Amino acid sequence: MNPKTLKYILKRVVLAIFTIWVVITLTFFIMHAVPGGPFVGEKAVTPQVQKAMEAKYGLDKPLFRQYLTYLNDVCHLRFGPSLKQRGRMVIDIIGDGLKTSAKLGVIAAAIATALGVILGSFAALRRNTILDRIIMVITTAFVSMPSFIMGSLLLVAFAVRTHIFPANGSTAAGLVLPIITLMLYPMSYITRLTRSSMLDVLGQDYIRTAKAKGVSRTNIIFKHALKNALIPVITYLGPELAYITTGSLVVEQIFAVPGIGRAFVNSITNRDYTLIMGTTIVLATFIVIMNLVSDIMYKVVDPRINLE
Amino acid sequence: MKVKKLFAIVLTTAMVLGLTACGDSAAGTAGAGTTGAETVSSDKTQALNVCLASEPATLDPALNSSVDGATMCLHLFSGIAKWEQDDAGNLVIVPDCAVELPEGVANEDGTMTYTYTLRDGLKWSDGQDVKASDFVYAWNRAAGPDLAADYGYMFEIVKGYSEMWEVKETGEVDEDGEPVVEYVNPDAKLAVEAPDDKTLVVTTTTNVPYWNELLAFPAYFPVREDVVANESWATDPSTYVGNGAYTMTAWDHNSLITLTKNENYVDADKVTMPQINFFLSDDANNMLTNFKNGDWQLIDDVPTNEIAALKEEYPDAFKITGQLGTYYVCWNINEDILPADSGLEGAEAEVARQEIRNAISLMFDRNYICESVAQGGQVPASSFVAMGLSDTDGKEFYENAGHNDGFVGYYDVSPEALQSNYDAAIETLKKYYTYDEDAKKFTNVPTLTYLYNTSEGHKAIAEYLQNALAGIGITMNLENQEWNTFLDTRKAGNFSIARNGWLGDYNDPISFLDMWTSASGNNDCQFGKGENEKVEAYSIDLTKYGYDTNVVNGTWAQTYDVVISDIKNCTDPVVRYELMHEAEDLLMSTGCICPLYYYTDLYMQDPELQGYFSSPLGYKYFMYCHY
Repeated sequence: MNPKTLKYILKRVVLAIFTIWVVITLTFFIMHAVPGGPFVGEKAVTPQVQKAMEAKYGLDKPLFRQYLTYLNDVCHLRFGPSLKQRGRMVIDIIGDGLKTSAKLGVIAAAIATALGVILGSFAALRRNTILDRIIMVITTAFVSMPSFIMGSLLLVAFAVRTHIFPANGSTAAGLVLPIITLMLYPMSYITRLTRSSMLDVLGQDYIRTAKAKGVSRTNIIFKHALKNALIPVITYLGPELAYITTGSLVVEQIFAVPGIGRAFVNSITNRDYTLIMGTTIVLATFIVIMNLVSDIMYKVVDPRINLE
Repeated sequence: MKVKKLFAIVLTTAMVLGLTACGDSAAGTAGAGTTGAETVSSDKTQALNVCLASEPATLDPALNSSVDGATMCLHLFSGIAKWEQDDAGNLVIVPDCAVELPEGVANEDGTMTYTYTLRDGLKWSDGQDVKASDFVYAWNRAAGPDLAADYGYMFEIVKGYSEMWEVKETGEVDEDGEPVVEYVNPDAKLAVEAPDDKTLVVTTTTNVPYWNELLAFPAYFPVREDVVANESWATDPSTYVGNGAYTMTAWDHNSLITLTKNENYVDADKVTMPQINFFLSDDANNMLTNFKNGDWQLIDDVPTNEIAALKEEYPDAFKITGQLGTYYVCWNINEDILPADSGLEGAEAEVARQEIRNAISLMFDRNYICESVAQGGQVPASSFVAMGLSDTDGKEFYENAGHNDGFVGYYDVSPEALQSNYDAAIETLKKYYTYDEDAKKFTNVPTLTYLYNTSEGHKAIAEYLQNALAGIGITMNLENQEWNTFLDTRKAGNFSIARNGWLGDYNDPISFLDMWTSASGNNDCQFGKGENEKVEAYSIDLTKYGYDTNVVNGTWAQTYDVVISDIKNCTDPVVRYELMHEAEDLLMSTGCICPLYYYTDLYMQDPELQGYFSSPLGYKYFMYCHY
């Protein structure tokens, strides 16, 4: 690796750490500004119990001191205990959630990528035919439809009305609908990306040369066209995975999937401060890293790109 | 070339990850599947599959405050006493770890001392003996500031509790300007002792009729000091040690908790169900699907829109039982609802507001709310203390409420009385507001705002109330807030009218009444707080029960707080119940509480399942289930 690239990566890592610090700080203070608290319930606890709990978790200290303590803990990778699920550590809850979310995200990303590339290539090769038009119309629809609408529609159609799949995502069969919901957007996006990039490549001089030399159509498509047409797709994979894992926030809530997105949403409703911070940091770090990886991928895939 | 290689690596990685994930999910089916049949035994006589709610916040009996968590705890622990069903099908309190439940001995200072002897052969699930000192440790832990449990106040009745929580100001102020306080007696303990391994002696501050019920409450279950020293003990089966009918053998978080019969349990021969699987979900549609296909034998929730169909389709499986709770609308007592030119002030204004609030309470058709809006077999309510609580004359407490002839409660909720209630309400409101006889509407009622927490069910009820009032020209805007914010707003009294609900903690009306004292944290109506603190509009006469209290036009603190304190110190059950009726009369006279319905518990139960019962608090008992 040349020094220029190394310098670039270092710069990006420093920037990434700064970004995460900003996220921590903003979340911390906004979270405490929201009304309610972790020890509030339909049945109010006595003021003494409230005080005792706050003292136990250090919430009785001035906010800025709590913030400094928290920063120090995070630097030592200590996320603390959950305030609501007493006895459980934030890191364990996140670990449990991540396992499910990652399963969901990776399957959805893999299917989306495979289908997207195939459909995109088809559309490009059958350009301006009925097939192309159908693929384009459908993918446009999926790209513009938010996941909460898609999820709700699927839920009504396949779980509530017909009972083909369970409505609850805590089981294997229950993961089918959330996976479909999650993959439709990236699949459509990749289809469109592959199509335009394929069309671009098919018009290049070297393809014409290959044709003139009598190379078979299959060979042209797989050996020469697809390979180059996939460069933008590969660079899209990083942000895509990040999108799916964080985008699953809504999807996990709709399908009651016990993933990290749901843990995140519940932690906010419960004002489980330590869990809110923990999940925010993990998700933010993940997105930052994915973006970093994809930027570096650009450079690796296409050396002509100037990182500066 | 580079690109090709990279492409290959990316694709391979994606495929491998995909396959691994698929493999995981396939394996996951066995652990968490809807098809419980695959997980354990397909034989429902050997393993009962039930679904009550989603993951409980904790299964530490001292910390738990949820009904589903309590249900699991009482299968995992055994206290001094427990609920059981007698041969006639009635629920009774019977000794559990204790040989018997003796009457207390009254001491000269008015306290009561109870001495319990533990049964022989009591074991923890890891084989160690259960000792009386385990109870001493557990009770002090559950009551004290170190644990600061939600239900710590259940030990309020035990001598020594108030000393534990007594604080004094240190004279310093913290950075927010609040005085810094410290505990006066950091080493204070409850008056509970274990003279030997088999004897437990406890002293209560007074004689309360529900003492034995408290002994059956999860907060009173024993835990062992060395077990709970590990703060995460209650989150993992490997560290979870109980002394109950079952042991926890698996906890797949957010998915499944498995309890297996504890052979060390002293009454193991009476336990008929070898295994119970608690599936963790709060999705009513999912529960119903699993119940319908026979995988789950009991589900504690059903989708509201299916209720009517289920009653028809599954008459033997669809069950409705009473629940100790009331759904009601609460008014902020400090909200001025009189017209700007009323000229009324102080106590006079409060009396007028009481009449107005009570009149508005009569406008609502509770039968319509129960049958067409809530649809869960709820019972129209005409008092705040819920149904299901017994009185001294053998009737239920709510049947004696209001002391009215011809109907139960503080107003008549029968469909026949709808018109007369309406007419009476209009007449009362005419005294304070301008009524347009042609339009049949009031023209100068200040705009009200109804606050509720975001939920379809609460919204539907709010819309009904809004419509009912719009019919007579009263504008009520609806405002919904997210749960936690809502609780904060309501508690702080920043509302005019709010949705509310209360579930009793124990089978005694006092758990519905002591929440309304001036200092209570659950006093959402703000009685005796803010402006109301100085309002002298309340009267109570307790002389006929032998008390000196006879207040005419006093403050809330001089009347309601006094009667509640008298109830807490009263040892004569008949007088005590009369005092509780007096308290509810005063409470309802304010009109700040507008009960809509008594809660019910809806569930579906396999009709072939025998031996199941639930307690008035909604706790479910599966250990004696069989086919």
